[in-house]
Amino acid sequence: MPAPHVLDFVYVIVVLAGGVIAGFAPFVISDIFRPRTVNKKTMLTYECGMDPYGSAWDIRFGAAYYLYALIFLAFDVDILYLFPVAAAYDRVPGMQGVLELFLFVGILTMAIAYIWVKGVFTWAIKREEN
Amino acid sequence: MGDQERGKLGVHSYAAELQERLKRGEPGNLVVRDPGPLFQNKIADEIFNLCRANSLWPMTFGLACCAIEMMSLGMARFDISRFGSEVFRPSPRQSDLMIVAGTVNKKMASAVMTLYDQMPSPKWVIAMGNCAISGGPFAVEENYNVIEGVDKLIPVDVYVPGCPPRPEGLLEGILKLQEKISGVRHPFPQRKMSDAPSY
Repeated sequence: MPAPHVLDFVYVIVVLAGGVIAGFAPFVISDIFRPRTVNKKTMLTYECGMDPYGSAWDIRFGAAYYLYALIFLAFDVDILYLFPVAAAYDRVPGMQGVLELFLFVGILTMAIAYIWVKGVFTWAIKREEN
Repeated sequence: MGDQERGKLGVHSYAAELQERLKRGEPGNLVVRDPGPLFQNKIADEIFNLCRANSLWPMTFGLACCAIEMMSLGMARFDISRFGSEVFRPSPRQSDLMIVAGTVNKKMASAVMTLYDQMPSPKWVIAMGNCAISGGPFAVEENYNVIEGVDKLIPVDVYVPGCPPRPEGLLEGILKLQEKISGVRHPFPQRKMSDAPSY
């Protein structure tokens, strides 16, 4: 007779195995019994009835979107720096915490103002005129 | 890159096949390859057919005004889910019932054929409404682009006539299809219309 805590692990393993079997059994059973008829377009990738054209690697993505990625990063870091503030918020007297919080966020917001003035938010469509 | 290949968009790759099927007047043999199931057993087939009949998954696929009746059937008043087929799937890969709800014209026909091909078997088709059955009001001499009957393109199991059919009509069509699949009519204790109490 193994030690009781080993027996507990055996229970866990049995339940895990049951879970895995319950998860995969439907796939296996349906794979055994399913009819495997294939029509001319059954294996086509695209599912909306239209013909696909071109390759999936040919998608061109607007390079201007990297600006949005940078702005997102800026806001994200803003939020990140607020976590220590939240952690230490109860250690300072009330009004001081609020003021310092707003001071800090205000300075960070100036970065957004800078981006705004620089004209990042205006979307310039650069298209060659023919 | 897409711009260079845009020329391919002009004609659907099924256009020639469509003309052939229309000339023949029937879909013909659509199966390219059928290795058969790995294991076949009569009792297992009966059980699976019972399950299939009671959980038909129709495709979210409406071509014309009959689709409004089909949507109505999915909603609370007629409630198709009482018969296990409320799960309208947005992808042909997940559905086994195609309700051709409406007029099939020549431009859409290739798409219908492709979608039918992409459904995994076993699959069934209900032709809903007069347009899908025979062209309906479009079956006239001047008709130039309406397919007069979707059964010229894909095999149809149940025809539901009407212009459009009432949701009860489509419901009866689904019950008929269940009868066709499993051999018994569901749900089990069911009264005939003549036995129903009159109010």
